[in-house]
Amino acid sequence: MSVLTMTVAVIVTFNRSGKLMTVLDALAAQTMRPDIVLVVDNASTDDTAELVQARAQADPTIRYLRLPTNVGGAGGFHAGIKAAYQMGAQYFWISDDDAYPQPDAIAALHDALTRFQAQNVWRPSFATSRVEWTDGTLCEMNCPRTVWDWARFVRPGSPWALVDSASFVSVMIPRWAVTEHGLPIADYFIWFDDAEYTRRIARSYPGIFVPESVVTHDTPDNRGVNFARIDEKNLWKFKYGARNETSFRRREAGLVSVLAYAYGVRQQMREGGVPPRLRRQIYGALIKGLGFRPSIERV
Amino acid sequence: MSFLASTKPVDPATAAYFLGQIDQARTIYEMLFPTQHLRFILNVGEDPVWSNPEVIEGTYVPRPTDLGTDYLGSIVRPGNSSADPEVTVRLSIPRQPNPREMQQTDTPWRPTRGLGLLFRASPLAYEHLRYSVEMLRKWRAARRQTNTAIPLGRGTNLIAGPVSPRTDKRPAILIGMHWLEMGGAEKLGFDTIRWALEAGLRVIVVAAIPTIQRLAGRLPDHPDVTFIRLDRYLPHPMWPRYLEKLIHAENIRAIHIHHCTPLYESLPMLRVQLPWVQIIDSTHIIEYDGGGYPRVSGVWSSYLDVQHVISGELVSYMRDTFNVSARQVVLGRMLDQDDALALPPLRLQAGQKMLHVSFVGRLFYQKRPVVVVLALRALQAWAQKNDVTLTATMVGDGPYNETVAELLRRYDLVSQVTLLPGSTDITALLDQSDILLLPSNNEGLALVCYEAVAHGCIPISTRVGSQTEVLPDALLVPLAPRAAVQGIVAAVDAMWQDAAKLAGAKTDLQAALRRMSTDPTAEEVLMPTYRSLAKGKVA
Repeated sequence: MSVLTMTVAVIVTFNRSGKLMTVLDALAAQTMRPDIVLVVDNASTDDTAELVQARAQADPTIRYLRLPTNVGGAGGFHAGIKAAYQMGAQYFWISDDDAYPQPDAIAALHDALTRFQAQNVWRPSFATSRVEWTDGTLCEMNCPRTVWDWARFVRPGSPWALVDSASFVSVMIPRWAVTEHGLPIADYFIWFDDAEYTRRIARSYPGIFVPESVVTHDTPDNRGVNFARIDEKNLWKFKYGARNETSFRRREAGLVSVLAYAYGVRQQMREGGVPPRLRRQIYGALIKGLGFRPSIERV
Repeated sequence: MSFLASTKPVDPATAAYFLGQIDQARTIYEMLFPTQHLRFILNVGEDPVWSNPEVIEGTYVPRPTDLGTDYLGSIVRPGNSSADPEVTVRLSIPRQPNPREMQQTDTPWRPTRGLGLLFRASPLAYEHLRYSVEMLRKWRAARRQTNTAIPLGRGTNLIAGPVSPRTDKRPAILIGMHWLEMGGAEKLGFDTIRWALEAGLRVIVVAAIPTIQRLAGRLPDHPDVTFIRLDRYLPHPMWPRYLEKLIHAENIRAIHIHHCTPLYESLPMLRVQLPWVQIIDSTHIIEYDGGGYPRVSGVWSSYLDVQHVISGELVSYMRDTFNVSARQVVLGRMLDQDDALALPPLRLQAGQKMLHVSFVGRLFYQKRPVVVVLALRALQAWAQKNDVTLTATMVGDGPYNETVAELLRRYDLVSQVTLLPGSTDITALLDQSDILLLPSNNEGLALVCYEAVAHGCIPISTRVGSQTEVLPDALLVPLAPRAAVQGIVAAVDAMWQDAAKLAGAKTDLQAALRRMSTDPTAEEVLMPTYRSLAKGKVA
């Protein structure tokens, strides 16, 4: 609960200017508009720079941060949150360049954070929206993870379940959490950076799932992350995911947790009939994750 | 309707909290600087306890750091005239504590770095090493520290001293606490607040240590009781200046110190500028490392009017170490005389086949919970040998919670020993107990010993502090951990085997309590002073 409400939206983008413009339209239509919309451009090669800067001429809340190279979603969120922190953000609204918030999505997140603390004294480490796919169903890849006592404060009129892991698709983080726990790990490059970060800040207190805040995630299909679906085209992402989660599990829970994870990955790949050549690359990423120990940068 | 996030109105509860805190801080500084041109630079703090105050006297030009991301605003209280000096106060308004912080939580105890292996191999050896280090520290401290009273020059009647101004305001007393948290000194502090109120004084309470002040809610809900949050908003070096203003404004006739360090530091100012204010000081335990508050009280004894102590040991300490006059040091026991006069029979019988042992105390090192577990283990071995069914209860919370539970598992005592929280009904427990163990590292005069005897339970304690005043030799054991464990078993065994020894211990114990009951209680020695202050009499 703070009397200061300065909010910065951090949107990381890469070569998706069309979708990004839709996101900016949605932000302009918010009932509670972010004071600053920070577009972090991972060195896009399309017309992102021109379009964003043209918009910024008309809308003084838009800021454009172009990174010299593509540092992945993780590097983009790391740089964006760091810059927003310096700008004085009390709340960080974090999202992808293909997620369109409904007009009251940001206000609902902020209201929920404030009311939850007023009602229960505990201060949630983040608030995350209900993420829907384009057809209105739940977006499979953005379902937050509940804690064991998720229903502790769920009541009519305040249906906020406690969660400890969420994706960087419409998640609002208060400044104290960043001050206390630092920034997302840029070295992850892509995948699991959001899960690692929300789990890290949830050590202070879990976050809350706010179903009245809704965003639409405009992904090509509505499928969750499953190693059964590895193919030549998406292998590179799964390798990052395997390495990053292994590294996280080793840090937080030790080798037994890594072994359990590796066993689960193996089972999924077997069930999906992933070719042995691709499987070997995933096993290589798992082994790489054992020695991968990126540092956590503090603000 | 659309608006920017930073323009969103603050919700009423948050606004009320912040405005209330700002008001508390303003009240303090506006009294301290009544005529100056006063400017507050306010930030939102992340600390639930401390406002990190900074006071700048003289012209001050704001810096970028004053307008950081947590900047809340600036308030100006103009001076009496444009020529008045400027004072700038920078404050971070503490946030509200969360439920975890509101609980009495302590970081779980861990053995000293590098000695974990020793503790795992032998908790008794670890305890003995710690005891040895403490004894060495005590010996060194005794050689190093000042144990003489600071001399106080009273001046001459050639120069007239200040006199108490006339006022229509009802007399008040300032009661300075260490903090408003659990503790023996705090219990007496709360009692004195109640007694002062009953005597007809207005009561102003301050605390030295910035904490959550969890017991603030237990202050009497009375218009004559005010808790001023100096602990949160005023740096200690500024207390004397503030007190001078407060004493004049509130007609404070006396200050009662309960382990409140900044009040000791205010004594020179009080003696020079406000000599009519009576200073009462209460102390409890002589601590090993530095003597604790009794030594502080002794060092300042020339500046004090009344030194209230709770044991004969402290009377001797003040008299013999600091040459304090017998009139100044007053003994007032924290004991209810009615309890001592109506003592029930003590429950333990020689040769009984069921024995219940209890421990009551915060699970901090001072109470040596590890030694308690080791003593219970030794008692269990003794009980098996003598065909006695032993059960035990340990009541208390603190950093040793986990360690005690782990040791009980390790020594297979889980079925015999019940762990209960500090909120347990102690009298009900003592009504069912035969023996109370108190192998503390340090005690003043443990109140729980009175309670135990008043409920038919025999206490066995280490020979520390003033415990010799309440317990006979048969119930006192040495302080060294191994000797304490052996002494406890030997004391129980002697009483259990020999009915004559048990009867002797019971007689001596009850006699000691009856003897103590002839001493005045704290209420009896303090109330006359409070009443005379309430009538406006000058000390």
